[in-house]
Amino acid sequence: MKSRLIVGCVIFLCFARVVSAHRLDEYLQATMLSVDKDHVQVSMRMIPGVAVSSSIIAGIDNNKDGVISKAEQQAYADRVLNDLLLTMNGESVKPKLVSVDFPQVELMREGLGEIHIELTADLPQAGPNRRLILENHHQNGNAAYLVNCLVPRDRDIRIVGQNRNEVQSFYQLDYVQAGARSDPPLRRWWTGVRASISALGTFGFASVFRLGMRLICARSSLPKHVVAKAISKVRPDRFGSRHFS
Amino acid sequence: MKLFSTDAVRRMGVFAFICLSLAPVVAQTPTSRIVGAANKFLSTLSDKERQSVLFSFDDEAQRARWSNFPTGFIPRGGISLKDMNSAQRSAAMALVSTALSRKGFEKVRQIMEGDEVNKVNEAKNPPRGNGNGPPPGDGKHPPPGSGNGPPPGNGDGRPRFAPLGADLFGRDLYYISILGTPSEKTPWMLQFGGHHLALNITIAGERGVLTPTLTGAQPALYTIDGKTVRPLGQESDKAFTLLQALDDKQRKQAILSYHLADLVLGPGQDGKTIVPEGLKASDMTEQQRTMLLDVISEWAGIIHESAAAARMAQLKADINETRFAWSGPTTVTPGKNITAYYRIQGPHLVIEYAPQTLGGDPGLHVHTMYRDPSNDYGRGLTKQ
Repeated sequence: MKSRLIVGCVIFLCFARVVSAHRLDEYLQATMLSVDKDHVQVSMRMIPGVAVSSSIIAGIDNNKDGVISKAEQQAYADRVLNDLLLTMNGESVKPKLVSVDFPQVELMREGLGEIHIELTADLPQAGPNRRLILENHHQNGNAAYLVNCLVPRDRDIRIVGQNRNEVQSFYQLDYVQAGARSDPPLRRWWTGVRASISALGTFGFASVFRLGMRLICARSSLPKHVVAKAISKVRPDRFGSRHFS
Repeated sequence: MKLFSTDAVRRMGVFAFICLSLAPVVAQTPTSRIVGAANKFLSTLSDKERQSVLFSFDDEAQRARWSNFPTGFIPRGGISLKDMNSAQRSAAMALVSTALSRKGFEKVRQIMEGDEVNKVNEAKNPPRGNGNGPPPGDGKHPPPGSGNGPPPGNGDGRPRFAPLGADLFGRDLYYISILGTPSEKTPWMLQFGGHHLALNITIAGERGVLTPTLTGAQPALYTIDGKTVRPLGQESDKAFTLLQALDDKQRKQAILSYHLADLVLGPGQDGKTIVPEGLKASDMTEQQRTMLLDVISEWAGIIHESAAAARMAQLKADINETRFAWSGPTTVTPGKNITAYYRIQGPHLVIEYAPQTLGGDPGLHVHTMYRDPSNDYGRGLTKQ
């Protein structure tokens, strides 16, 4: 009991040393997307705070030898990859690991070390209007997520909008890709259904209803004011669909 | 007949002498003054010290060797004020002061002084180390980057890890380095920084570029001789005043619906331009645009006045394409710093203000970033 108390005090004092300089009890996960015509690059910088680094390291250093081997780095990157969900127009996209780079373990213990993970994903063929969704569920108990997209180098790609949930574990990027062929109607319908099912889980019925109505409005000959009236019946304040803007 | 009296001739002579004496002073440009101060500083150093201060202009590793972290953790290149004698320290600070505006230098001084307050606060609660490093001040382990050892880094491009025994805070743990040769014609660079400070000043002829520059403060509010100091107080107050000046529709565009825990384009994020967000200044009133420019001037005005004027002219020309985004609380306790993140982004500008949620009041620990995506490190001026 006494030894536990001493260990506890030592840990506290270690944290006290670095409290004023470092991230503490959060696991910062900063993701940068770079969209190209046929693929997307995902760069992740991951910095465990000093108060959570020990448990993160313990979860990576499987054989507990104090060294994070290449195999352990790879295994961790695969775990991160499994905690990501990437979709393009509702269609699941599987990112591939390009590289993983770990800092010195001592730096990680101090809340200073950055893990770098580079991913890439081929994007399915789609029409000009594209919606890329990235969900990050890795260590969501203590994560502080940041997600952004670089301004595309390709001038044919124009970003239309970005939406995130409050903690940035959900990120939606809408863009238009000039020169892309429109999907055939059946594929468009199927993509819409899948996107709606996916969004249902994230945003709830009210938002999906409004989204659906907007799509109908955009693609049918129904008088727009009729559809608009139907949309307005679903009150955002009642259903809390603040994710859509 | 005499054209001039003896007295008149004497007066003319004195006047001519004064004019000739003043001529070199009057002819001095900001760049020549900075170059002069740089050479004066270099002349105070020994050959060995000069070697640690001078880097090749194309040394990209040194160019990017800056951080918000204490130098004990992320070593900087160059030589620290701690390792200088008083004449060297005066010459170093004179150089920094010459490169900056009066207001900019005062900001830098307050950031450094804040770190000294941090050191004193730490001393009141002395750390015990974690058993991995030597005890503080054991005399066997020189502080990293002291100029005696090899350049920072361990050969694989990563910084060396400093033991906890190393000093972390204090007004003398700031490093100065020069990339290239101080010149009025050819480009060179002055770096000065440490914990919460990274000034990267590229001088190319009469042009001066301050980006990328990181300022931060911890504590971001402290008292010295009964006077309250907020090194980044204007950055906080002016942005909050601008937010208050927005109407509901504008605020809806400016206020982001998500939380930002840190800088997006902080250290190590050179050369990146993210998709801009927030309220476009073209949707602001003229008065609001003026207020936005006033917020921007807190960063653009750190460099010496003539470079700052040129930079502000550029940013003013861009203003309609510049956006203002805010994330976090929209209230503030009078006299304190905001606890919200904000970003100002334009074609030639990224400013981020990011309070740190590291336990305690985020308004007491602030990081800020100032970039020009088209001209960081003066690349727009120096590329062949």
